[in-house]
Amino acid sequence: MSFLDALGHRLGVLLRPRAFDDEMEEEMRFHLALEAMQRESASRGTLSTSDARLAARRRFGNTTYIKEERRRMTGLGFFDLARQDLRFALRTFRRTPGFTVGAVLTLAIGIGANTAIFSAVNAMLFRPLPFREPERLMEVGLVTPGRDGEPGSSDMVWSYLKAATFRRAQTIFDDIALYSSDGMTVRVTEAQRETGEVVDTDYLPTLGIQPVLGRNFLEEENRPPKPRAVVLISNELWTRSFNADPAVLGRTIDLDNAPFTIIGVLPPGFHGLSGRANVWATIAARRPYMFDPQEAWDHEFSMIARLKPGISAEQAAAAVVVLGARVDAAHPPPVPGRKWGASARLLDRTRVDPIIRRSLLVLLGAVGFVLLIACANLANLFLVRASSRQREIAVRLAIGAGRGRLVRQLLTESLVLSALGGLASIAVAWWGIHVLSSLNPASTFSVQRLGGIGAVNFTTVRLDLSTFAFAAAAALATGVLFGLVPALQATRPSLAAALKEGSSEERRPRALRRLSTRNVLVVTEIALALVLLAGSGLMLRSLSKLLGIDPGFVPEKVLTLRLNSTPGVRGRDSLPGFYQELLARLRALPGVTDAALGDCPPLSGGCNATLISFRDRAPVASGTEPVVGVHWVTPAWLSTLHVPLKTGRPFTDADRLGGRKVVLVSEAAARRFWPNESPIGKPVAVGQGGFGDTAWVVGMVGDVRFKTIDSLPDPDVYISYYQSPRPGALVHLRTSADPASLAAAARRVIQHFASDIPVYDVRTLSARVADATAQTRFSAFLHALFAGAALVLAAVGVYGLVSFSVAQRTREIGIRVALGAARSDVLRLVVGQGAALAMVGAIVGLVAALAATRVLRTLLFDVVPSDPTTPIVVVALLAGATIVASWIPARRAARVHPADALR
Amino acid sequence: MAPSRSDKQELLKGTLDMLILQTLTVQPMHGYAIAQHIERLSGELLSVEQGSLYPALERLLDRGWATAKWGASPTGRRARYYTITASGRRQLGVEITSFERVLLAINRVMKKV
Repeated sequence: MSFLDALGHRLGVLLRPRAFDDEMEEEMRFHLALEAMQRESASRGTLSTSDARLAARRRFGNTTYIKEERRRMTGLGFFDLARQDLRFALRTFRRTPGFTVGAVLTLAIGIGANTAIFSAVNAMLFRPLPFREPERLMEVGLVTPGRDGEPGSSDMVWSYLKAATFRRAQTIFDDIALYSSDGMTVRVTEAQRETGEVVDTDYLPTLGIQPVLGRNFLEEENRPPKPRAVVLISNELWTRSFNADPAVLGRTIDLDNAPFTIIGVLPPGFHGLSGRANVWATIAARRPYMFDPQEAWDHEFSMIARLKPGISAEQAAAAVVVLGARVDAAHPPPVPGRKWGASARLLDRTRVDPIIRRSLLVLLGAVGFVLLIACANLANLFLVRASSRQREIAVRLAIGAGRGRLVRQLLTESLVLSALGGLASIAVAWWGIHVLSSLNPASTFSVQRLGGIGAVNFTTVRLDLSTFAFAAAAALATGVLFGLVPALQATRPSLAAALKEGSSEERRPRALRRLSTRNVLVVTEIALALVLLAGSGLMLRSLSKLLGIDPGFVPEKVLTLRLNSTPGVRGRDSLPGFYQELLARLRALPGVTDAALGDCPPLSGGCNATLISFRDRAPVASGTEPVVGVHWVTPAWLSTLHVPLKTGRPFTDADRLGGRKVVLVSEAAARRFWPNESPIGKPVAVGQGGFGDTAWVVGMVGDVRFKTIDSLPDPDVYISYYQSPRPGALVHLRTSADPASLAAAARRVIQHFASDIPVYDVRTLSARVADATAQTRFSAFLHALFAGAALVLAAVGVYGLVSFSVAQRTREIGIRVALGAARSDVLRLVVGQGAALAMVGAIVGLVAALAATRVLRTLLFDVVPSDPTTPIVVVALLAGATIVASWIPARRAARVHPADALR
Repeated sequence: MAPSRSDKQELLKGTLDMLILQTLTVQPMHGYAIAQHIERLSGELLSVEQGSLYPALERLLDRGWATAKWGASPTGRRARYYTITASGRRQLGVEITSFERVLLAINRVMKKV
């Protein structure tokens, strides 16, 4: 086997290079000895032994050369050259430590930032979902008919009955899973609040997840009316609450005060499709009413389905549309003529919100620009270095070094630098990833317009093999990028010119000099930096507009605590008294100035909504009434949040259960429903809280942004907790000191008063408001960081170029001064060079920015990319930076003494 | 009388591998013997430069056309013996064919003059 022979030989050489050399040596000695012997005997005594030996040696030729040739043959030569180049490069770097450290740091930051952003992009957008064959999973949603000219949604959740109809009719999926995210009070030893999922028995098989301990749900455990109450728990909860005790199976925990038996523990890291779940229970155990034939319109469950083998996603999507019509026929809508349907898409396509996807990709682009600028800077540094080594290189070329050989040596230098930078970048990336993954999506992004399945989020960002591969690839690419051009240019064969004293640069025509690689690189840097600055300027303006929005309340010095009370634990009629007493105790806390309840915090992404109708107008067709947000508050809510009362009166403690039903409306509601009259005294019917008969509007209050900070307030209606008691509330405390400092005391008061009620989600209202702008702040901060880095790098680039050309033109400047040029003329000459670069760069950059910032449009709030203020500010900033960068070398040039320069 | 060095012919480019392989079909040999064999068979007309011989041997090893083993020489010293492999024999066939084709072409051209 020639292949094996060759491989064996090559391996032998590579593994034992020393032995290879020795053998070569011995073989040649043997050859020489035979040759000498043969010559001596052939001469019949005319040649002495030593002469014969000498003759043999002469005939043999250059042994060193032969050895080198042989080494080259085996591939060892490659390593010889590489080792030589490496040693030379390291020696060169040791001689110029400042240059080396600067270059390595630039690269480490550039590559590290890229790696960190890449790992986020990889985790969020590309890494396969952590389920078996995730590319075969589809999300199936109901298609709603749409209202008021607005298109319907295509990913509406399912009722259990509709899903059952769908499941019976379909033939395209192997498994269909239903799940719904559900907050629960879990009591192991003490009550704690956990996110859970209510699922059917096919949930885990569909995802391809198996319990690491115990078993999945059985069919009969999801069969109403009274199934065995069993629960699966996450590995995290198992570790946290049970110390990973294998005997946990069969133990009982309380979910919302009902006992459930633990039957299994799920694999580490698995938190369901919601990405946050720690407990799983069946639909029949948690939602037995969902099986009631009346509940076809109780939509709650997301549907995930696994494609049958051989069925494509397109075929399935088409089949789902047909199935949707059958579901619609089986469950006719309450408003005739408004068709419902169904649609399906690959689960992978729904993994993150489109806004997050876009902002991540834009960030990846921005940070890539920063690396490009860093590369351009390093290429320039290498060019400058190469030109100061022009004579060394010319001498090497003259005495016969091949151009390829020299390019290889120079490339080795740049690759060594980029490899060092790549290594150091791992630390930067590690830190960056740490920062990224500490962004808790549950609190940070939940209030945005977030879609996506939650199983994919920033906590899944980590350093992994693909990250390292990316860093290595980036290091290699940058090394070649900033090394190749200088290497090719420096070795351009123009021996005669270079060997002469002085630089060839000076002899080139002015026009050519202007177009030199160095100038092109710096102009590119400036243009790229300008694009980044323009982008970050837009993001910052967008952020400042967001921060400038009045949310309709005063968030400072308000603490919020969520109370959960399970329905049925306390009688509905006793709730008003209970709440009133609780608030009185809280108000008595030192530092608390006001206390109130609300059911839904502002800026939470959306609250309760229902239909409203008007008792004094002709009734409209059922189902076509306008939608209003509906909120429960206690009377002091307005004064606690500083929401202004515009007209009428607020709720009082006298508005009680059984009394005349009264509501407050928001300004937006008044504008919409009573455009030209006062809403006070109007009779309305609200579809929730037992206000479906008649309630009277008694006051109008200012608009509060309940959804997101950048969406206009919807029409809202307020109902008093005392008139329509309901369990569960958010306590709002206005405080005179730092609200966070009162958290423990407030919690103690509540627990002392009602120990069975878990208190959770304790946060200041300011923190909730901060969450509302978190995504924009996050993007704007990173963009500003990258743009700042780009600006500094570009300024350094200009500085380097201008100082280099000052050094080269010292003699010319000397002559100018000798001939009578004033210092100001020299200053103008040098700064003019920097300014010219900046101007060309700015023009190119502005055009590029106009095109590039268009991708930001959907990420901006109330700012358009073509907005003229941003470019003006940005160009001014850049011009300032370039002038400062060229001012420093210009002052040095102006101090040139003609005598020194001409000597 | 052996021809003086200046009478010896430089080897045609690319034929050294073929000559070595052909030599090795006789028996395994060390480098010196290979060179001697080629010179002797060519009637001392061809000279094998050591500067090309050893790199050429290295090339044969690298391609797997020959293997090398240390053994005792008739003088008692250790010598490195080269042995042709099966693929080396195949390669020899290929090289002879192409060499003959070149020779034929040259002959044709020269006859036309």
